Amino acid sequence: MPAITLRGVAKSYGGGDYAVKNLDLTVPDGAFMCLLGPSGCGKTTTLRMIAGLEQPTAGTIAVGDRVLDSVEGGLYVPPEKRGMGLVFQNYALWPHLSIRENVEFGLRMRKVPAAERRSRAEAALRMVHVDAAMDRYPSQLSGGQQQRVALARMLAVNPSVLLLDEPLSNLDARLRLEMRAELKRIHEESGATIVFVTHDQLEALTMATDIAVMNDGELQQLAAPMDMYARPANRFVAEFVGSPPMAIIDVGPSPTGLAASLLRFTEARSTRVPPAAVGIRPEALRLGAPPASAWHEEALVEAVLPAGSSWTVRLRVLDTEMYALSYTPVQAVPGDVLTCWTEEMHLFDADGVRIPAEDSSADSSEDRVEAGA
Amino acid sequence: MAVLTKTEPPPAPPRRRRLVYRLRVLRHDPTAALGLILVILLAYLVVAPLVAVISDAFRLQYGDDVHAGQRAGEWTGYYLWRVFRSQISGLLFWEPLLNTLVVAVGTTLFALILGGGMAWLVTRTNVPGRKWLAGALVVPYMLPSWTFSLAWLSLFKNERAGGQVGFLQAQGVHTPDWLAYGALPIIVTLGLHYYPFVLLLVGNALRRIDVQLEDSARVLGAPRRVVIRRIVVPLMLPALSSAVLLVIGRVLGTFGTPYVLGLPADYRVLSTGLFQSIRDRSTGVASVIATVIVVIGVLIVFTDMRLMKEHRRFVTVGGKGAMDRLSDLRGRRWLAFALGLLVFTVSVLVPVLTLLLSTVTRTPLDLSTFTLDYWFAERLPGAVGFPHGVLRGSELWEAAWNSLRVVGLASLVCAVAGLLIGYVVVRGTAPRIAGFLRQVSFLPYLVPGIAFAAASLSLFAVARGPVPALYGTTFLLILVMAVTHLPYSSRSGIAAMTQLGREPEEAAQIAGASWWQRMRRIIFPIQKGALVTGIVLPFISGLKELSIVIMLTTTGTQLLTTLSIGLVDYGYTQLANAVVLMIALVSFTMTYLTQRLTNSSLASGLGG
Repeated sequence: MPAITLRGVAKSYGGGDYAVKNLDLTVPDGAFMCLLGPSGCGKTTTLRMIAGLEQPTAGTIAVGDRVLDSVEGGLYVPPEKRGMGLVFQNYALWPHLSIRENVEFGLRMRKVPAAERRSRAEAALRMVHVDAAMDRYPSQLSGGQQQRVALARMLAVNPSVLLLDEPLSNLDARLRLEMRAELKRIHEESGATIVFVTHDQLEALTMATDIAVMNDGELQQLAAPMDMYARPANRFVAEFVGSPPMAIIDVGPSPTGLAASLLRFTEARSTRVPPAAVGIRPEALRLGAPPASAWHEEALVEAVLPAGSSWTVRLRVLDTEMYALSYTPVQAVPGDVLTCWTEEMHLFDADGVRIPAEDSSADSSEDRVEAGA
Repeated sequence: MAVLTKTEPPPAPPRRRRLVYRLRVLRHDPTAALGLILVILLAYLVVAPLVAVISDAFRLQYGDDVHAGQRAGEWTGYYLWRVFRSQISGLLFWEPLLNTLVVAVGTTLFALILGGGMAWLVTRTNVPGRKWLAGALVVPYMLPSWTFSLAWLSLFKNERAGGQVGFLQAQGVHTPDWLAYGALPIIVTLGLHYYPFVLLLVGNALRRIDVQLEDSARVLGAPRRVVIRRIVVPLMLPALSSAVLLVIGRVLGTFGTPYVLGLPADYRVLSTGLFQSIRDRSTGVASVIATVIVVIGVLIVFTDMRLMKEHRRFVTVGGKGAMDRLSDLRGRRWLAFALGLLVFTVSVLVPVLTLLLSTVTRTPLDLSTFTLDYWFAERLPGAVGFPHGVLRGSELWEAAWNSLRVVGLASLVCAVAGLLIGYVVVRGTAPRIAGFLRQVSFLPYLVPGIAFAAASLSLFAVARGPVPALYGTTFLLILVMAVTHLPYSSRSGIAAMTQLGREPEEAAQIAGASWWQRMRRIIFPIQKGALVTGIVLPFISGLKELSIVIMLTTTGTQLLTTLSIGLVDYGYTQLANAVVLMIALVSFTMTYLTQRLTNSSLASGLGG
């Protein structure tokens, strides 16, 4: 199975605005890569460029050794010759064709004989559990079923590269959960390279082998899900990945209150440049007796929000609002004063870039690429 | 782990490289090429005729050099002077202009009162048989507009123009000229044709007004009259102004009725004046008049669009409040029904029956002189130019075949072009091309048909470059008819394609389908319904079309409509009536069936 490489890819719709700016990205062979970012960050444009539906204004796109787009080299392979699979956000099933005809279409285009076409279409539909609805038309199917048919239509031609553009966003919560597991299984069974576009960080964390976070047409970080969660490369990634989001406190030049307390703590333990901001994930903010090495402060409980398996507590720490997420029952009531503490802090410099912790071997091995380098 | 902060866009690749790449892309995606072809076609068929007619208005034509003291082909103000300031300009322009205004205002008022009243009756009251009335009162719009004028002649014609006199005159009642010809009959007959147009526009608007808006006023203590004056009428203004302007625009370009009812009494309007100038071969004068009509048409549509834009703030979203709340007419219900029935009788039954009876009686409407000769006779004594019943001989059938061929092909061209324009616009690979197509395909809407026909004559009557003279060919008829219906078909094509979106085609592309395969297997099959309506609606409207084709047909390319006008010219009233009846029958049946089968709205598609 091939790897997808993008080198210096840019896309401008004219007027100096770039949907995608100078993107270098390698989707490893057999990876399940999520392009994650807020709407308008260029992730869908990137996907459509890989599919060939949009053309880059600069750069090279290749799958394995096969160059699909090269503006500099004057090479272009049209979408119909790329042999990829793409599932659209709204599925784009053809309303005038039956489910079977929809799924057989790609095979018909590849001049597969009728008998084989039939059996492969049936196999693909069985794989996504809609083989019973084979002779119906798309409008007679539920949203979830349509989504599965769109998947089957893509899988039937057995492409080595699968592209998915927010395919789960139109499904209800239960179906979405089910389809996530389904997609993971399909990835493992087919061994295909998958590029999956989403704005839902939970979707990315649960399914992907690699996540590429994008913002404003730029790649922010490329990492395995848990690495990204543990060591966000910059403030944008830190705030975007994780729910509830990480609290980031600016500890600027002359901090007061909570900021001052955090700055004192970090300075005492580090010889490096002082951080410009400190981030604490809600689940890393604990309540109760702190270990000796931990940062701790007094906290006033303002509200306790139980959610079955977890408890979110709104605290006021040195006049700053903070959230703590606990997976054990919280007995406090509003008005209580507790001690909150943490041992996990994320430090960012004035440019918002992560400052690696000195004692963490994993963190120190990161290679940083600065602008223009 | 790679971290990137603040990327700069890469340096743009060299121009030549980019060009090579663009060309590679274009080779695989014919959309841009298709768009370019459409742009060239539209520029040639829509823009060039208008440019030609305007330039003809300012260039000295052959034969006028002696009078104007300039050489042919030179730029000149001679025609402007002749039309606006000379001794004959009253006859040529000012009088027709005044008459046009009188007819337009009269017709509009007539249609507004009749159409508005009927709209209120069928949408907001509990008049018995509402549904039936709502359908029946639209029928006049399905008949050719000059059906009514022929019926009028059959009733009121006097001895002035020669030929057979009308029913009243035959009964010994003298019909004065003002009743037989001129402003009054034109206003009444056009009004009877156009009131359904007002009814549809105003009726739709009335139906969409949120009843909660009225209820709020009632709750606050406003009596009914005040509610109507302060709430309903202001909310109706956009629809009313739109109806007024569109009716005026239509009347401006209408030809048949003023020709039939005006010319015998020398009552000229701009459209018939234009026709006469062209027939007299005064190309320069005709071009000036055509330009004036174009300018007025453009002004009307722009005013309408502007008003609509200003009124947009009035647009209310009719949610569940827009339910059917009907005024209870109580005892007057049946009176109202009788009124509706009367309007239907006058606007449909009387004209159609008059025409029908006139074709089967020797003395108008006198059943004792019943005869089927006008339909079936092998020899009609006295009728030199058409010496047999309409169904005998080859004239009618040839004209019918021509109509079918010309209108059918034009509709097909129109519908396909509309869809293709929609395709190029929605694909969006070439925004500038798309913008041009969107606007230029709408341009003929601004230009009254008869002026557009004159413009096309300017361009195509003579050989220009490699294009031979097309005057008198069916090809020119098809072209002009297709172009004048393009605004409707391109709009519906764009709407249909926008609704479909790009994804279905892209999905097929990803699946490996080439452009042809995508068109054949995905786009056209999905748009089958839109394509059929896109063919049928222009077809119906084209079948009744007279203003556009009257100047472009010759004896060799007679259509049903021009045949009937020709018969009027000869004074063969019964034969002309018979032909019009057949057009009316076909057009009505097709409209009715289409509405039944496709649930399409008459108001949106018919441009006649």
